Amino acid sequence: MTFRVMIAVLAMLAMPFVAVAQNGPLRIEITEGVVEPMPFAAPDFVAESTAANEFAEQLARVVVSDLQGTGLFREVPRAAYISQITSFDAPVQYADWKAVNAQALVTGAVNVNGTTLSVKFRVYDVFSGTEIGSGLQFAGTTQGWRRMAHKVADQVYARITGEQPYFDSRVVYVAEQGPKDKRLKRLAIMDYDGANVQFLTGSEHLVLAPRFSPTGDRVLYTSYETGFPRIYLLDVGSVQRRVLESQEGSMSFAPRFSPDGRTVVYSLARGGNTDIYRMDITSGTSARLTSAPSIETAPSYSPDGTRIVFESDRSGSQQIYIMGANGGEPKRISFGQGRYGTPVWSPRGDLIAFTKQSKGRFHIGVMKTDGSEERLLTASFLDEGPTWSPNGRVIMFTRETQGASGKASLYSVDISGRNLKPIPTTGGASDPSWSPLQR
Amino acid sequence: MHKSTYISAGGHALLLGYAMFGGLFNAEPLELPSMDVSVISEAEFAALTQTPQPPDVLADAPEPVFAAPELEPEPVVPTPEPEPQPRPEPPQFVVPEPVEPQPEPAPEPEAVVVPDIAPDASLRPKPRPAPRVAPEAVAAPEPEVEIDNTAREATQPDENAEQAVEEQSQAAPEDAATEIVTEAEQPAGSAPIATPRPRARPRESVASAPETSSAVNAALAEALGEPAASDVPSGPALTAGETDALRIAVQDCWVVDVGSLAADVTVVLGMSMDLRGKVVPGSLRLVSSSGGEGAAVDTAFQSARRAVLRCQKEGYDLPQDKYEQWQEIEMTFNPKDMRIR
Repeated sequence: MTFRVMIAVLAMLAMPFVAVAQNGPLRIEITEGVVEPMPFAAPDFVAESTAANEFAEQLARVVVSDLQGTGLFREVPRAAYISQITSFDAPVQYADWKAVNAQALVTGAVNVNGTTLSVKFRVYDVFSGTEIGSGLQFAGTTQGWRRMAHKVADQVYARITGEQPYFDSRVVYVAEQGPKDKRLKRLAIMDYDGANVQFLTGSEHLVLAPRFSPTGDRVLYTSYETGFPRIYLLDVGSVQRRVLESQEGSMSFAPRFSPDGRTVVYSLARGGNTDIYRMDITSGTSARLTSAPSIETAPSYSPDGTRIVFESDRSGSQQIYIMGANGGEPKRISFGQGRYGTPVWSPRGDLIAFTKQSKGRFHIGVMKTDGSEERLLTASFLDEGPTWSPNGRVIMFTRETQGASGKASLYSVDISGRNLKPIPTTGGASDPSWSPLQR
Repeated sequence: MHKSTYISAGGHALLLGYAMFGGLFNAEPLELPSMDVSVISEAEFAALTQTPQPPDVLADAPEPVFAAPELEPEPVVPTPEPEPQPRPEPPQFVVPEPVEPQPEPAPEPEAVVVPDIAPDASLRPKPRPAPRVAPEAVAAPEPEVEIDNTAREATQPDENAEQAVEEQSQAAPEDAATEIVTEAEQPAGSAPIATPRPRARPRESVASAPETSSAVNAALAEALGEPAASDVPSGPALTAGETDALRIAVQDCWVVDVGSLAADVTVVLGMSMDLRGKVVPGSLRLVSSSGGEGAAVDTAFQSARRAVLRCQKEGYDLPQDKYEQWQEIEMTFNPKDMRIR
């Protein structure tokens, strides 16, 4: 009996020890991080031939510009480098790059043989001391060196962020010249960063709202060539075009491709009423998708092609609705104050970008496809016409300044609302449409 | 009938007669007891009946007990204390070091209860100093500098030496932020309209019972020639302050891309630590993930791994005497509070 009492007393005394002991690994939960660009280093690529010298630095500069332009990366100044990359295959001195706090390192080499340019690169995770992925090489022409730099940057971006890239893409837009009351407009195409501008049409006739095809080789746009708006289909390579919709006594506008590129959905105004139609590009047959007495316009397909989002004033104010690809009863998804327009479905399929006018200001915003979680990303005198980057991460749009000398220009913003920045263009620019990633 | 009338009339006549002539038969009045009295003078009477008069000046009167005009700032305890009791510490967010268990644990000093001696007339209580806790764990203070008695020559810069590179100057992010504010949300003025979201309060580390087979494992390890577990300093579980310091150290290096699909993924990293507080090379591994798949999981894992490796520098500041407690660590990186909102 006495022994049992002693055991009980000892057990009670041991309780504090039991309370502070630990079972298994120490477990910690971290819920707060930081939102900041990742520091990275990208020394000049190694020139493996004399002719490659002029490209070695340029290629690295474009790669750095692409990565920094996302707002997710920040280049470590070259003056801080401790070690230099003199050989593409030499082992990396991780300690030197750690010392300058570079979390990622991009090395590359370039070689020129005649007009053939070859570029190879590697990406390293400095603090892990490992290579991310394996080395890759591209070959092209010296004239296409810039596009090859975009390709390298795409690979680096995808390997580090795990997301689809968007640097090797183009933008078709309306280039503008002249004062507001006598403005000349023509279609132009450029790299996503504003380089390599080419004009697709003359400025004799007013053109509006160009839209890339899913393959990036064709463009739909609206032209006032006949005095009334008509939809045209333009081949980017040959710059050949043809009118797509020309019903007498009607106006067609706001076209957009279906995800498979075989169908066009657009608005057609007849007798004071505007509805949404669908046309098979090959056969030219069209079908009416809405039949309300209100104005329905700005249709945009979902990535899977099963639904269409559009704007309508059937409720008395301009709002966003979604209907099936074959029409049917639409469902309203925007319920906030103000007017909503130009909805565009994200390539990811999870968000819808839109233009919102509220309290005298214009906004570019995004909302989920059920209308929830609306977020306004910009605010200015006039923001409109959003278009998505191929990976659904960035939105480009038109921003116009106030006054008689107001000028339209292109801006882009990350869907997080960060990294709002202008896109450099020569002259005014509006109505951008982002192409898919080039192949 | 007449008989009863006569009886009634006779009765009444007797009653009237007694009322009229009954006083003739009264006896002598009883003698009343009497008391002796003494005669006193007017002055003596005044002295007996006079009550004590208050002084003319009221302020000179001793204060009533309930007024308590000059209360001592220190504990107002009406009853004499046998011995000065240590005051209980004010509540702290940081959990103090665990108390070593005693065979006969002394009873905790009870909080001194101030009796409500005069609730209607109490003075305004003096504000007590609020406990202040630093938002982040601070490193241990530098040891005091001992001044040497021997004078030494000042060092001269070596012109031939290589210039040291300021490495950390590149590390300061210019636009680091913990919260996204879009252009549409920016206030018109420069003054902030809302305070930043406070950091989460430190959570206490979960303590649980030890494995019952630890002794068996230790004996087995000893039999196999492995170092005994008892060689590793175990100590008590880490305090909340110690785990919080580790959490803050890692989260300062955890870069979250809030717009990416990886921002929806929660990953759990497992790692082994050496005695210096550094991750054992090759031990970092993905234990589990939720909220995504494929590339998003891998990206979330890489981001978390970079955070752990980048901020360890020369080792995390962990108590070596508790090494067994943090020899194995599982860190959960949950970006739910960082997602776009």
